[in-house]
Amino acid sequence: MQAQPAETPARYFKNIVDSVKTTLVGMKITWRYMLQKPITVQYPDERMPIPDRYRGIHYLEQEKCINCLACARACPIDCIEMEAVRHGKELEWVSFTLDYQKCMFCELCVYPCPKDCIHMGTEYAFVTFDRSEFKHDLLSFKGMAREARIRMKEAEAKKAAKEAAKARGETVAADDEEEKDAE
Amino acid sequence: MNFFLEGIYQTVGEHLPMWLMMLIAAVTGIAVVLGMVSLIAMFSVWLERKVSGHIQCRYGPMYVGWHGWLQSIADGVKLLLKEDMIPRDADRVLFMLAPGLVLAAILGAFAAYPLSPGIWFGDIDLGVFMIIAFSSMTTIGVVMAGWASNSKWTIYGSMREAAQVVAYEIPLGISLLVPVMVAGTFNLREASALQADWFGMKWFLFTNPFMLPAFVLFFIAALAETKRAPFDLPEAESELVAGFMTEYSGIRWSFFFMEEYAAMFLMSALGAVFFLGGFESPLTHFAGEFFGKELVVVGASGAKELNFAAIPYHLVAAVTLIAKCFFGVFLMMWLRWTLPRVRIDQVMTMGYKYLTPLSLLCVLGAALWEAGKHALFGS
Repeated sequence: MQAQPAETPARYFKNIVDSVKTTLVGMKITWRYMLQKPITVQYPDERMPIPDRYRGIHYLEQEKCINCLACARACPIDCIEMEAVRHGKELEWVSFTLDYQKCMFCELCVYPCPKDCIHMGTEYAFVTFDRSEFKHDLLSFKGMAREARIRMKEAEAKKAAKEAAKARGETVAADDEEEKDAE
Repeated sequence: MNFFLEGIYQTVGEHLPMWLMMLIAAVTGIAVVLGMVSLIAMFSVWLERKVSGHIQCRYGPMYVGWHGWLQSIADGVKLLLKEDMIPRDADRVLFMLAPGLVLAAILGAFAAYPLSPGIWFGDIDLGVFMIIAFSSMTTIGVVMAGWASNSKWTIYGSMREAAQVVAYEIPLGISLLVPVMVAGTFNLREASALQADWFGMKWFLFTNPFMLPAFVLFFIAALAETKRAPFDLPEAESELVAGFMTEYSGIRWSFFFMEEYAAMFLMSALGAVFFLGGFESPLTHFAGEFFGKELVVVGASGAKELNFAAIPYHLVAAVTLIAKCFFGVFLMMWLRWTLPRVRIDQVMTMGYKYLTPLSLLCVLGAALWEAGKHALFGS
């Protein structure tokens, strides 16, 4: 404990004045903060802006991926596994899993990709009820597998329509142009 | 309250035995006071969390209801469902009795709180004494809890509480003497009625230059009495875990919590009635002019009957007092989130060396002022 200053009448009254004054100063500061808009955000509903180069959960552009395993080889802790069956030019994906219990978000899997199809996403909140769920299938993440299926079906339907049109001997120039535009 | 019981007595009183009447009176009183205390505690907890949040640039509770106003109910349900634990080496009887005693003491003190100028539960002539006595009785419960828990933290907390209350009871009582002396009554309702002049603004605070220091002293002593920061040494979260409440959980813990907020409200009520005009404000004044003040009038037949036209006035008066009380509660919260906790020796120094002599000076000065006024103007 620090040495107490000598008790004198002047000191006594100075103490009173000081304590009242400093309390009022403190109250002024907290009052100002109270009227200010809170700086926190309501987390699950709103989020702070995330920088673009943030290294969160991976994002896979499945339609570009050629199953070359470059990312899996680059991974220093071997947490990437993928499996796909090749039908001619089309790849039928079985799984593309990342074990987030191991992953250290080093981004080394992103650089070797020849097709530039694996990226670090901005999603960071990753809560599950079971440990096994940390082994993430990037194909199914956020409905990407469903989207991919829809895209595939659309492509098949288009192809079938094209062949049907060819069989009828009609010109498909318009369609071709459309496809070019899309590309 | 008083009308309700009187009405029961007049209609069916002759046919009922006395003990049943008393039982009805007691049960009604307990129900009303308990309901009021829980509502006050719930609202205060929510207010505390909002105020502390905003002072720290947070929002506080936001999800349960509009801006989280139902959060306290959700918390209450959680506390009710929690496991009721009693430590193995605790003194079981005292351990279970302590929260009840603490809550009972503060509920008893609420009997002297007037709901409106015409509605009260107990119109007690020594209302101030009653409130101060009952609210310091909670200390016994706290010491009991600290001893019965058989833990270092709790015993330290309760010892601090005892020392603190003994030190601050003196300035609390003496600083309250100033307005009591000016008013000439210990009755809360009568003291409030004395401040009705000047369009409801003749508050004791403005009638005497020694009132403001007395109010400040009273407020500081009330902070220490209700164990609020910066005098929250009995709890002292960072030093003593939770002080005397360390071993308590669930509903028993919530009793201590309710007691704290009810005591805050009650101390603010004392301050509001004796310094800040009680029921009186310009709004109450004009409501009284407009609606009439008497709740009971003698009807044409000579029998007493209720004057329903005066109910808005009583509503306005009740809301005025409650608003003033919550202003005091808000001040306590504001101070809590502003000041750091003081050391125990500083608490003692402040109580004995500063507050007690200063409050005595205030009493002396106010007495001389009133005597001089009386001698000069003769009123």
